[in-house]
Amino acid sequence: MRYDYDVIVVGAGNGGLAAASKLTAAGLRVVLLEKHNLPGGVASSFVRGRFEFEASLHELCDVGTKEEPLSVRRLFTDLGSKEDFINEKNLFRTIVTGENGYDVTLAAGWDNFRQSLLKVCPESEKSLDRLGALLDKTTEALAYNDRKKGRPNKLVMLLKYGKFLISASHSLDDVLRSLGFSYRARMILETYWSYLGVPADELNAFHYFEMVRGYINGGAGIPLHKSYGLSLSLAETIIKNGGDIRYNTEVTRFIYDENKRVTGVCTKDDEYYAKEVISNVIPHNVFGMSGKGNVAEKDKKLLNARRFGLSFICIYLGLDKSADALGIKDYSVFIAQNASSRRQAETEMGMYVVNCINVAVPEATPEGTCSLFFTIPVFTNKTMKGVTADNYKKFKSDTAAAYIENYEKVLGVNIREHIEEISVATPVTFANYFGAPNGTAYGYELSGWDGVMARILSTGNELNIKGLTFCGGHGAKGDGYGVSYVTGIEAAEAVISRLTGKNDEEKQ
Amino acid sequence: MKKSSEKTEKLKLNAAKFLKIIPERLKKIKDASSEEIKALRSYKPNLLAAELHPQIQHTTVAEIKKLTDDVTLYTLKADGGRLAPFGAGSYISVFAEHNGVSFSRPYSIASSPGASADGVYEIAVKRKDDGFFSKLIHDSFAVGTKVDVSAPAGDFTYEPLRDAKRVICIAGGSGITPFRSMILSILDGTEDFELTLLYGAKRESEILFKDELTAAAEKDGCVKVVFVLSDEEKDGAEHGFIGAELIKKYAPEGVYSVFVCGPQAMYRYLEGELPKLGIAGKYIRKEVFGQISDPCGEPDYVKPEKEEFELTVRQGAGEKHIKCAYNETLLSAMERSGIAAPSRCRSGVCGFCHSKLVSGECYTPGRCDGRREADKLYGYIHPCSAFPLSDMIIDVPYKN
Repeated sequence: MRYDYDVIVVGAGNGGLAAASKLTAAGLRVVLLEKHNLPGGVASSFVRGRFEFEASLHELCDVGTKEEPLSVRRLFTDLGSKEDFINEKNLFRTIVTGENGYDVTLAAGWDNFRQSLLKVCPESEKSLDRLGALLDKTTEALAYNDRKKGRPNKLVMLLKYGKFLISASHSLDDVLRSLGFSYRARMILETYWSYLGVPADELNAFHYFEMVRGYINGGAGIPLHKSYGLSLSLAETIIKNGGDIRYNTEVTRFIYDENKRVTGVCTKDDEYYAKEVISNVIPHNVFGMSGKGNVAEKDKKLLNARRFGLSFICIYLGLDKSADALGIKDYSVFIAQNASSRRQAETEMGMYVVNCINVAVPEATPEGTCSLFFTIPVFTNKTMKGVTADNYKKFKSDTAAAYIENYEKVLGVNIREHIEEISVATPVTFANYFGAPNGTAYGYELSGWDGVMARILSTGNELNIKGLTFCGGHGAKGDGYGVSYVTGIEAAEAVISRLTGKNDEEKQ
Repeated sequence: MKKSSEKTEKLKLNAAKFLKIIPERLKKIKDASSEEIKALRSYKPNLLAAELHPQIQHTTVAEIKKLTDDVTLYTLKADGGRLAPFGAGSYISVFAEHNGVSFSRPYSIASSPGASADGVYEIAVKRKDDGFFSKLIHDSFAVGTKVDVSAPAGDFTYEPLRDAKRVICIAGGSGITPFRSMILSILDGTEDFELTLLYGAKRESEILFKDELTAAAEKDGCVKVVFVLSDEEKDGAEHGFIGAELIKKYAPEGVYSVFVCGPQAMYRYLEGELPKLGIAGKYIRKEVFGQISDPCGEPDYVKPEKEEFELTVRQGAGEKHIKCAYNETLLSAMERSGIAAPSRCRSGVCGFCHSKLVSGECYTPGRCDGRREADKLYGYIHPCSAFPLSDMIIDVPYKN
């Protein structure tokens, strides 16, 4: 069958859901095609026995409170979602077990955050003031950049936002040093680095600050019905707005016309045509479905130059005792042997994060139980070395055993004998559900040359395919939960402007 | 690559570096290869995903063996190569066509995980008089029949981090199949735990794999086998039903797990018996075996006044109007009417049939309600375990 729409959105991940919500709200005829039978991509949950496990989300930044909503909460409200969030009072607890290790908990809210860092690094007072000023300047610079629609006046930037430019063009570690932070303070402040997947000596400082600012000021926000609740609420919006969602519908080919404009997509049985296509699917896979000759040489080179972002091993445990009874007190604990992010990335079991959702949302599991969610970044293919289809089950079990043992030792708790449900996801799981190349959950690595600032400055000059707009964690803004929704909104706005503003369409 | 420096002196940075960002990027891209984008299978996680979770596996019936009057063992052989590996206790969905419509039912894999490397799965199918699918298999499967099966699925497997090292496995009737796979995997060294099988049947003639199970127990000290006959007394077999007393008789000292797989009647009986063992709930695991065919026995079920309802099924851009009886699942009604709806476990758990309830009401028994919290909030149902309480409109995904 042939179907015609104004816009086709491929992939119902965070970006695709946000895009389709926005497009349908603008009155466009939209179909959202999803290969899985559920919306959300990684923003999902799954049930084992009497437990429902959050599949991927730790917390969203920039949520704010009901009274003082920040961008992420506002975004959901604007799209018509009624999902609520719980604000977590701490940023994280970070434990470094090796030499000169520490066990520090940083609080949310600027004043509390400041106090909690000063408690362990009293020498940081002036540096913290400078950091505060820099974060404010970053906000101003971004607002200016937005006003100029991503094409700021270079001279204005240099004169007025010089500090911002420094953080936009240097690594996190260098910028923290320039602010005068001590080694220990730097290591503590860099704890979140794995959320962006690049060690602090290579990670774009501005990008990191943007995220951290959203955690410190807005407080981490945890959706009441898990990330899957957010996904379903957006699916609900799309349906209410008159959009069509087709699950179990995998796109197999992107259709190009003779001008190399994308005009539609094929599925196993059907063809969908539209004036515009938005892809939440990573460019690598889109190009793989584009046929020879339709992809520009420079775009192929860009993709071949890139490295894939992180993948993860996740361990989900349903425990038959409450968090209190087990002595688990933190929502987020970052555990590492060595304080240095570079060392963490280069060592097996270098770092991992453990979340206990019950600390933030007590009713997330049945009374008298709790769940733990281990997130282990997979930095190198070494982790999966020797794994075959036949020993895969054992690999998962052995890996889980090693991390559980380590966690018990570091935290001084006993969880092993309370495991009622266990599930382990690996890069193979990500590859299976999302078709992500190399099982990446983070799109493309935000390494030096491909950091977020470099991507933002190149917007409009890369992956310029007529009729096709990308959104998702593989885009210019980098991976990140909240960000991926924003990319969907931006893709939708660009498409809406082209479809409803005559001049813009001519230009196409 | 710079090493994270431990130096503490303040660093001077220059805003002009900003101007180098783009030239550096352009050079990186210019120097990159312009070859075609690599296929997904060239990445190890994607290749493993394809091997472990193929969308569909094509097999041929290689051997048929009658185990008892009404149970037949089918050996399915891969059409070339291997079949996906699995944890002993997993199930596959078996597809079969009737009047041009494709149906599927879940069957536990009875063979050892090791045999999957040789491209072999075995399934035991009990012919039930009211069982549409089991009759279809018994009547239409012959040596040489082409059979499609899904990738293995399910959580009824041994997990050393969760389960006790010693497991009492309680089987009823053809519920022996996942345990046969576990026993075979202990014999070939894939799994490492002690398994005591309590296998209940009415009479000796109904016991499946009797000689093979007896031989396994003789061969491997980790496997014990006890037959429990309810309708006849035989030497070397227990007489009666499998209850707390019998389990305690064979239970090891200390911690142990209990795995149960059998007919609904056995689950109902054990519901009253298992608490008497005094072991933590986490050590009891039940396989969901067979769909709930009648909601009337459920404690919180209120039978609706009408016996038959209008079910409007939207699928893609299409819409069909069918009838659904109060005591049949929405999935059964759709299949009866020739609608190709997705399904796997048929027990409410796996979520494969996840569908949107547009209007109307239905009942899902609590014990097979595997929906997420948000599903309930936003009106999503699992048609394989939902019974109508009113006329309904549902939106069902395509079968992929």
